[in-house]
Amino acid sequence: MRLRRRDFLKTAAAVGATALTTGPRLNALAAAPITASSGESKGRWVATTCQGCTTWCPLEVFVQDGRAVKVRGNRHSKQNDGVCCPRGHLGLAQVYDPDRVKVPLKRTNPVKGRGVDPKFVPITWDVALDTIADRMMDLRRNGEAHKYLLMRGRYTYNRDVIYDAMTKIFGSPNNISHSAICAEAEKFGPYYTEGLWDYRDYDMDKCKYLLVWGCDPVSSNRMVPSAIKRLSGIVKRGTLAVVDPKSQTSALKAQEWLPIKPGEDGALAGAIAHEILVNGKWNREFVGEFVDRKNLFVPGKVVDEAAFAEVHTSGLVKWWNLELKDRTAKWASKRTGLDAGQIKRVAKGLGEAAPNVAVWLGPGACMQVRGGYASMAIHALNGLLGAVDNEGGTLDKAHIPVLKMPKLDAYLDDVAKVKHKKIDQRGTKEFPALAKGKPGGGVVTNNAARGMLDADPYDIKMAIGYMNNFTFSCTGAQRWEEAMTKLPFYVHLTTNASEMTMFADIVLPCAMTTFEKWGWVKGKQNRYAYASLLQPVIDPVFDVRTEETEIPWLIAEKLAERGFTNLLDFYRNEYKDSDTGASAKDAKDFARVVTKYYLSPIWTTEKGKGGDLVGDWDEMVARGMWNSDPYPYKKRWGKFKTETSKFEFYSATLKKALTAHAGKHKTTVDDVLETCKYTARGQLAFIPHYEEPFRSGDPKEFPLVFVDHKSRLNREGRSANTTWFQEFKKVDPGDVSWDDVLKINPLDAKKYGIGDGDMVRVTSTTGSFELKVRLWEGVRPGVVTKCYGQGHWAYGAVAATEFGKIPRGINNNEIMPAEYDRLSGSTARNGGFTGIKLEKI
Amino acid sequence: MTQYGMIIDLDKCVGCGACALGCKTENNTGDRAGGQTFNWADFMVTEEGRFPRATTTTLPVLCNHCSNAKCVEACPVEPKAMFKTADGITMHNDERCIGCQSCQEACPYSVLDISEGGAQYSVISFNEDGIGNFSRFESKTAVIAGGTSTGEELTRLTDAKPAHRTEYRHPDYDNVRRPDVTEKCIFCAHRVAEGKLPRCVVVCPAEARVFGDLSDANSEAARLLKANKSFRLNEKAGTQPNVHYIGSFVTRKNG
Ligand code: SF4
Ligand code: SF4
Ligand code: SF4
Repeated sequence: MRLRRRDFLKTAAAVGATALTTGPRLNALAAAPITASSGESKGRWVATTCQGCTTWCPLEVFVQDGRAVKVRGNRHSKQNDGVCCPRGHLGLAQVYDPDRVKVPLKRTNPVKGRGVDPKFVPITWDVALDTIADRMMDLRRNGEAHKYLLMRGRYTYNRDVIYDAMTKIFGSPNNISHSAICAEAEKFGPYYTEGLWDYRDYDMDKCKYLLVWGCDPVSSNRMVPSAIKRLSGIVKRGTLAVVDPKSQTSALKAQEWLPIKPGEDGALAGAIAHEILVNGKWNREFVGEFVDRKNLFVPGKVVDEAAFAEVHTSGLVKWWNLELKDRTAKWASKRTGLDAGQIKRVAKGLGEAAPNVAVWLGPGACMQVRGGYASMAIHALNGLLGAVDNEGGTLDKAHIPVLKMPKLDAYLDDVAKVKHKKIDQRGTKEFPALAKGKPGGGVVTNNAARGMLDADPYDIKMAIGYMNNFTFSCTGAQRWEEAMTKLPFYVHLTTNASEMTMFADIVLPCAMTTFEKWGWVKGKQNRYAYASLLQPVIDPVFDVRTEETEIPWLIAEKLAERGFTNLLDFYRNEYKDSDTGASAKDAKDFARVVTKYYLSPIWTTEKGKGGDLVGDWDEMVARGMWNSDPYPYKKRWGKFKTETSKFEFYSATLKKALTAHAGKHKTTVDDVLETCKYTARGQLAFIPHYEEPFRSGDPKEFPLVFVDHKSRLNREGRSANTTWFQEFKKVDPGDVSWDDVLKINPLDAKKYGIGDGDMVRVTSTTGSFELKVRLWEGVRPGVVTKCYGQGHWAYGAVAATEFGKIPRGINNNEIMPAEYDRLSGSTARNGGFTGIKLEKI
Repeated sequence: MTQYGMIIDLDKCVGCGACALGCKTENNTGDRAGGQTFNWADFMVTEEGRFPRATTTTLPVLCNHCSNAKCVEACPVEPKAMFKTADGITMHNDERCIGCQSCQEACPYSVLDISEGGAQYSVISFNEDGIGNFSRFESKTAVIAGGTSTGEELTRLTDAKPAHRTEYRHPDYDNVRRPDVTEKCIFCAHRVAEGKLPRCVVVCPAEARVFGDLSDANSEAARLLKANKSFRLNEKAGTQPNVHYIGSFVTRKNG
């Protein structure tokens, strides 16, 4: 036990010590007499935007003496009503992280690899930029401009400047975004049913039955503060049901928790649809009715397509005949491990509350091998229930009046005009990546590592990465370590020395989002779309630059010095101050000018149209954001952006895309599906349907299923270096502060003779890892779960046990192999596709 | 007589942590060190039941500002360093505090050392000289020598410790406490004095926390208390807490 001061103060205390004469004087009060008035010292609230997650909340930061001291939601925000989630506050610990990179660095150790000290030495900005520009010019001279790779991580919409313009004008096709490592399967279902390649907005204020599927909206998934505020209202007014193999907060708040077996989501969705149809609970106004009004949806019975007259949907009877007719609750119960009665109850509840219901499709339901079809099946329920674009349902976003990137064409020289394939192998037979209906239209982020390792389609000679950390954030992270080891020249634009930084040849210290940089984002929540800007709320603490604007400008200047002026010309000529018409004076000014350019319609050409009236740029900066008018219900009814303009239960849109992809490779759709690891053949390929879950690892050898989940304190893998993240880790149900635990049901623990707090060896197809076990009743037996976010072996002194060497815990992305939902290009992640085995150590 | 108190509606609370972080950024509390949490607002996590009926409750906790405050009773200093204000706040005067930790020992919601005995939180922490609750901002070691910053450098550059220190004034307590005194939630009296609500209340995204005068039947806090079944922590200790909980963190009755 610690020696307490009380013990030696006891005597003094007993006689009634008087502190005023014995104690040291209080520092502040020494200067100010005890009569000093109470209250906050001078400061002002400055508007900006949070990027702790992709909700992208409009924020305000309180600034005192040039320091950021506290955070709140933006008062003008109709999305968060002036309140942010816990992550908003955590940002302060990131901007004031003592482990931030403070100057440009150069690697002096040519040997690369995990655990190898790069022997970084400080260099000037000028030397760093010269080195980068020389390398780039060499590539152009040697006809290898396409061997330049730009990897994007967290961005604002000023991204065009570095991501599109710089890469394309320089002459490379390789601008690779991070999008597919956490999202695209979630967009796949909505796109191939209702033509929306985006996240949905959920009208929680009016919702009477919310079915949350594979996420915890009060922790993550793009409308966090808004969901936190509204969740209890739904529980009071109606029903909340949650599908998730583990009990996170929404599942505790819900009236119904459906602890499904991982990957069986398509079975449950099919059964709910089956129940809705058999019981005649579909929404007539949206879907239509049988011609003679008699419900012919009888289990097991084929229905004549002509018997049903659809209104805003297409292919209902095909869907029934091909897939749903046999998807009974009993059948689904076997697959999902759920009670058939509960499945029926949920279907009935949804049907009765329709159309003011929403099925909230989260990543756990579809970021899975074959997850694209689960994504369709789950989202199709919204169509069946008439919830799409309806009160209390799932919505698109209202128009946001901003500019597009200026046209590049005039700045593309002969080098830049040559067409080359992309390093992520998108569009190959194995990777259809059918974003927005286009074969190879989407990114396959995680597969770029394979492209680099196999030099297929060619070798990458130089890469710049900004605010990305693929050696940590991509599944099969080990492959990225190899790819980065092999890469001859890497420039990392970052705030901290992250895992990926440890492979860099040049490190450029970057401004912290929210607090130190210009930028802007778009978003939507509660029917209100918005544009919100980021601005330098404080002068940067260190000698940093903004990665999306200042750094490309500085590189463009260096390239111009070396005779290649196109990039700088583009930046100078095309981005002009929208009030004065002047080009940017320098890199710093450019960051502001670009932001102003994109947002200019808000207070110029479209002033007051469709949303808030913003007088001028100064007002925009002061209020920080623009809200749209509320999104009109039923806006897209009759004009969905699908092949049929309808909500498609039989996706003519997917048929077209898949057929085009097969055609490109001179083969059949069936062959494509087989190559891409799907089980469907024939017409099934075009409808939402059940696919058996894919598991990595033979179940005999790897009997347990590993499920990754998100932390409510995780700022996109970047907050683990803050003490506050570690201290309050316990707010993630089942987790332990300052630790990284594998959560396992006590029944399973018993089988393996494991006790709470024991160390175990976890083995998956990627390797073996040692972890601490936490017995937790909140997870389904047979499933083992761990929160993403710990396991950093770099980043800083708090995140890692020993910086550069020993991780704190294990990164989930090392346990999970690189696998994909190939139709969407998505990395398989939290759907639970990794088989593991456990051994007590 | 005014009696400030807080109602936490567990129907609304999702256990997100914003209140605890809002408090840390308002009151510049340090990091866990030497058996002290320095979390004026914190959580108590309870797990019950078996799968699929298992539940996890994340209960937000803070100083209960008890009407019968054991910490005040135990404070040996004259006039007391831990005392009740006229409006019912359990206040701590940093200047009079002799750091004997009697309050911390007497408070049924506090422990002297969080690393022993399994307590989940402690309302009162002791800011022993050199305990290291700001060591993050004092460290002289860089993870990359010459390349990354250090705590010491950051403190120098921002001229504040912690760097995000919120400056405010109050006659009884400083916005960063001096060494060798105890510290705890003071209901943000410096804000209340200006007509503002406590920070944890305004940052709660669920609007789960209601602060007000419990003796005023018209206050929302009093109204909520009257209209709902409520409970307080450790009633049997006889402390008469003024932090009340209504509603239930868990809705689900079955799997
Ligand atoms: S982390 Fe996400 S939800 Fe939380 S405040 Fe930031 S943007 Fe909003
Ligand atoms: S901020 Fe509000 S919702 Fe979040 S834990 Fe605190 S009281 Fe609960
Ligand atoms: S009232 Fe103020 S000091 Fe007390 S817990 Fe809330 S924020 Fe912290």
